[in-house]
Amino acid sequence: MALRVAGDFDTSYARDMATLRQPWHWWALLGFLAVLALLPQVAGSYLLGILNTIAITVITVQGLNILTGYAGQISLGQAAFMTVGGYISALLVSRLGLSFFVALPLAGLGAGLVGLAFGLPSLRVKGFYLAMATLAAQFIIPWFVRNAYRDVLNGAQGLVVPVPELAGVRFDTPNSYFYITLAVVCISTYVAHNIGRSRLGRALIAIRDNDLAAEVLGINPFKYKLQAFFISAFYAGVAGALWAHYTRHINSETFDLIDSVWFLGMVVIGGLGTSNGPIFGAVFVRLLREAVVLLSPALGRLFPALEANILAALGPIVFGTALMLFLIFEPHGLAHRWQVLKAAWRLRPFAH
Amino acid sequence: MRTVRLFAVRPLVLVLIVVLLALVACAPGAAPTPTPQPPTPTKAPPKPTPTEAPAEPTATKPAEPEKRTQNLEGETITLYHFGDISGPYAAITTPLVDGFNDAVAWLNEQGGIRGAKVEVVWADDGGNIEEAISIYNRFRTSDPKPLILIIYGSPELEALRERFVEDQIVTLTAGVSGEGLYVNSGWAFGWVPIYSDQFGLFVDWLVENWADVKPPQAGDEIKLGFVTWDTAYGRAASTDEAIEYAKSKGVEVVGVEFIELSPTADTTTALLNMQAAGANVIYTNTLAFGPANILKDATALGLREQMLFAGNNWAMDLATLALAGPENMESFYSLMPYLWWDEDHPGIEIIKEQFEKNQRPPQERNIAYLASFAIVDAARQVLERAIDDVGYDALDGQAVYNAITTMGEIQALDGVLRLEYDETRRAPNRARVAVTQGGKFVPVTDWLVTPDLRPQK
Repeated sequence: MALRVAGDFDTSYARDMATLRQPWHWWALLGFLAVLALLPQVAGSYLLGILNTIAITVITVQGLNILTGYAGQISLGQAAFMTVGGYISALLVSRLGLSFFVALPLAGLGAGLVGLAFGLPSLRVKGFYLAMATLAAQFIIPWFVRNAYRDVLNGAQGLVVPVPELAGVRFDTPNSYFYITLAVVCISTYVAHNIGRSRLGRALIAIRDNDLAAEVLGINPFKYKLQAFFISAFYAGVAGALWAHYTRHINSETFDLIDSVWFLGMVVIGGLGTSNGPIFGAVFVRLLREAVVLLSPALGRLFPALEANILAALGPIVFGTALMLFLIFEPHGLAHRWQVLKAAWRLRPFAH
Repeated sequence: MRTVRLFAVRPLVLVLIVVLLALVACAPGAAPTPTPQPPTPTKAPPKPTPTEAPAEPTATKPAEPEKRTQNLEGETITLYHFGDISGPYAAITTPLVDGFNDAVAWLNEQGGIRGAKVEVVWADDGGNIEEAISIYNRFRTSDPKPLILIIYGSPELEALRERFVEDQIVTLTAGVSGEGLYVNSGWAFGWVPIYSDQFGLFVDWLVENWADVKPPQAGDEIKLGFVTWDTAYGRAASTDEAIEYAKSKGVEVVGVEFIELSPTADTTTALLNMQAAGANVIYTNTLAFGPANILKDATALGLREQMLFAGNNWAMDLATLALAGPENMESFYSLMPYLWWDEDHPGIEIIKEQFEKNQRPPQERNIAYLASFAIVDAARQVLERAIDDVGYDALDGQAVYNAITTMGEIQALDGVLRLEYDETRRAPNRARVAVTQGGKFVPVTDWLVTPDLRPQK
């Protein structure tokens, strides 16, 4: 449901497609970005650390949203593609001496190519069967980095990853690193939003809704599915590289299967096939986790006799319950709730 | 329906301008980043030595404030700890929380640290490194900054080791991967010998005692195989240095087999592969359900007459005993770099008293409770030494680092844990070999010195 303010007409094709339709939209966006840009100057590393984690998660979930939300292809290998990106970037920077800012897109490219390979089964299988096929990535890739080329990949111990540097500035704190993640998440959000509105996005949606009908309309499902796999893995690779350089370490356990499952969960929670869904999903899940981590010791102080036994399990219980309730009461995702709130705001004081 | 061009120019330019501005904003001097710290810790300040009397009196020099080293009543010292309480290692780590709390309560009853009250702040990362980093960021920005941090896992250690150095926070870790303590590290110190050192010590003992301890059908030559988890922790004992050391001692290492990191893992295939390779000793760098599954499957396969089973120090614990059963855990060997609950020792008596006083459940009477209790006392000794060196008001990370690397052996609770560090050694190097007999863990050696098998990279 897209409600516009009175007088907001489409007077040209460009205006028809505009996302930011009013001057205040631009000011709000610039103001928001300015606040984010100033945040590292005033906020502590704890907050910035959370924001870095959220931003990196948003990037990988945006990629998965293109594959799952738009194209309807379920993937359980997103975390494995992050591993690929993290290793590629680490090796390019530490072994070849490339700048992190050159290695970052190359990491995405490398992960994208690996994603293409694991996307090949999408021609023949779909749904749960495709999920199982992509699950293979989550086993093969970690096995590969643990066991192959041990002199280069350092086996199970993994790699020490250098801190990014640019013109003498070391991005070695959560505060300074935030500028990198902010820049990348801005670009990734812009591209992901427009992919959904481009010919590619329309084709992916057509395939998702009815692949047979899409093929009849002249859309090559295989080509577009592979493009979706490539883009999704590209995003994952970039996110993996960002994470590896942020934590300065990567090994085969850095991104595991449960991460892939959670990324899928974030897409669902945020809203499948919506451009702002990944942001909502990643923010919601990350903040919920943070709240649970903070809550457990606090409750432990209230009930000291139970601290080690019950309260250690409290985190997962609260976390799981919150998600379950959320999915029951808002199955279309937070993006839908956002649309409802916006509509209600536009229609005020008339609710209907 | 019209579609947009993927890269419309105007919005992209605007976004890039904003991003560029942001990057400019983080130019040196703008961002409130902490001052970069030297990666190599400095030595302890030299102790004042008697000097000759000054040639001229310095009457105008203001008197320096006296160092406060005693009677710190009214002050508070906070110990921070975090790690996997509810994740994959929960079977062994959950009692850590109670162990810390009980130790701190006991310590405060004894007068705290030179009169200062001790508080404890903890968090559970559930085995998730993202959470661990977030928790660390929260702790490191506490006011005052943590003097000592305590963690339990090798993954947390490996992810945060460089930051400990940069932030100058001394960290005591139960996860003792050689990589985490010796590569790009410096301010993290292990509770127990690193896993490759433990393995080396086991090899030393095994070679000397093989004739006495070998199973009836094992043969005269030692052929050792690793059955372990395919993780950084699981592989931490089977390093190149450790395998080379075993070979140098005449032990043939026949292979490494991996098992699933799962309470329901089936280890049958791994054990049969080891049998086919001729192994008569199985070493595992796992804990809780890891050794339990190996021992249960080995018994079911009838391999106990052919193979001797052993593991690192965390493998010998109540969790393993409960999961495997006493009969399956019989004759399981392990390293024991601490005193155990059954030993007659004043430090152990304190732990047992507090355990009963606080009505802790029997299943918490494990290594996590014991070691966390003792490590609090170790932290106390280190902090007291640092207070003696620089005074309470000048206490900082560097002072704690200097104390821990120069004070020699730390006998936590009179020797329940025996720790000794210096600038190049970041884990203790002494342990005993123990065996499971009738459901009890019995040391079979005195304290032995481990070989030094740290990573040579």
